Amino acid sequence: MSHEAHAPAAGHLKLQYQPALPLRNGKLFLWLFLSTEIMFFAGLIGMYIVLRFGATVWPVPHAVHLSEPTGAFNTFVLICSSVTIVLALEAAKKNKSDAAKFWLILTLALGSVFLGVKALEYRAKFAHKIVPTMPGSPIFNIYEKADRYYGSAVKYRAEEILDGVAAEEKALAAKYDAMAAEVADKKLPQAEADERLKAIADERAKETASREEGEDGWKKKKEVVNPLLSEAKTVNQPDILYGLAARIMPMAGARDKRHFLGLNDTYHWLKMPIVVPGGNMWAATYFTLTGFHAIHVIVGLIAFGLMMPMKFTAANCGIIENVGLYWHFVDLVWIFLFPILYLF
Amino acid sequence: MSDHSHDTHAAPTHDAHGSGAHGHDDHGGIGLYVKIFVALCVLTGASFFTYSDAWPWHDKPAVGWAFMMAVSCTKALLVMMFFMHLIWEADWKYVLTIPASFMSLFLVVALIPDVGMRVHGNYGYSHSPSRMEYVGQPSDTEALVHASLPYADGEGHGGAKH
Repeated sequence: MSHEAHAPAAGHLKLQYQPALPLRNGKLFLWLFLSTEIMFFAGLIGMYIVLRFGATVWPVPHAVHLSEPTGAFNTFVLICSSVTIVLALEAAKKNKSDAAKFWLILTLALGSVFLGVKALEYRAKFAHKIVPTMPGSPIFNIYEKADRYYGSAVKYRAEEILDGVAAEEKALAAKYDAMAAEVADKKLPQAEADERLKAIADERAKETASREEGEDGWKKKKEVVNPLLSEAKTVNQPDILYGLAARIMPMAGARDKRHFLGLNDTYHWLKMPIVVPGGNMWAATYFTLTGFHAIHVIVGLIAFGLMMPMKFTAANCGIIENVGLYWHFVDLVWIFLFPILYLF
Repeated sequence: MSDHSHDTHAAPTHDAHGSGAHGHDDHGGIGLYVKIFVALCVLTGASFFTYSDAWPWHDKPAVGWAFMMAVSCTKALLVMMFFMHLIWEADWKYVLTIPASFMSLFLVVALIPDVGMRVHGNYGYSHSPSRMEYVGQPSDTEALVHASLPYADGEGHGGAKH
């Protein structure tokens, strides 16, 4: 090994160590790791492309509440972060530790902005229940078409809501009936008993009224759900079932940029199953691709965080170079994810 | 590795292609990185242009897809060459990147017969009948979009049929 080579065994021969490859071990390791990462993401992106073009139908981005300008903004954020990390390396090479740290903090901030935007996007998906589920799952399913299965899922959910309202009404009645029975059991003087019963009745009327009113009150729930229930029972009438699906979550056409609001948007307690042709596969691929990418972003941010206490010089700037290479790769993956997920 | 073979040969330290922390001082530069940044932003704008109404080939989506892929490959090359310094590295870069790229391609190609051509292939591939019972068709999208028209711009959101 190198220490043997440097030993003055032959007396007049001075041997020098030369590494097997003209790069540091850390960098070699990083590049080997990135080679596996290239295959990892190529497999995932390939999976998406093959499923996307092999599908009979695929939703346009805004049909699944995906905002194209938001995706473009996130692309811009990641490109900026690629520049800042490369500037951090340049500063470290010139022994400017404070400047390197400044660019590193900026990179960390930009990466966090990317994740924040991604979290908001995920929140919108969860709010609309656009998440992959098993076919036939009774809750929050994305249906491919408004068929009898969809109708029965809407019926199931409608009955669940109405049953919930009925149970609450029953519980409230039972509570006040028990209070009234307690007063009766005490055998109080008539006047006092009447007074207490009147107070209970007043309180009951007040609570009933408060539970009935409002956007999530019993009256509103019945008013919204009953028509859905009766329509959901119309088995094998596609026009009615598609009308029902459109009321619950309308879908814009391919080039239609208007804003569409459905019942699921208006009443957050409704949580009716939705129809998005190709939507389940879309959700599965979207969350797989962006999820793995987001995990890589998080790992990068942790690495940046761990580097913060360091003092950077030309001698140890290799660590910024290594983490920077990883970060550029994360940017590189997004460069492909943005068009295929948001613009295809 | 072949450390022993190198140990026995007297050779000058190989540093011409940037072997470590002290090898990159003579390239890059902030000016170049800013140029690459501007180019990346312009290319992102070019991809986004396919979304705008001014894009002339909305009726031929394949044109947009090819354009976006070309733009993405250009962006990826710029990032790899300049930000990841591959343009200044020695030939080891080919050893690590080319086999990985080929493997990536093969991974995708391997999925095409069984998955990609299941529906659109000309060789008798198709979804199973049980799958076809659930799978959406373009006509389903049309029916849903048509039924959704009364709810544009947030109209008719009141829920119950009025």
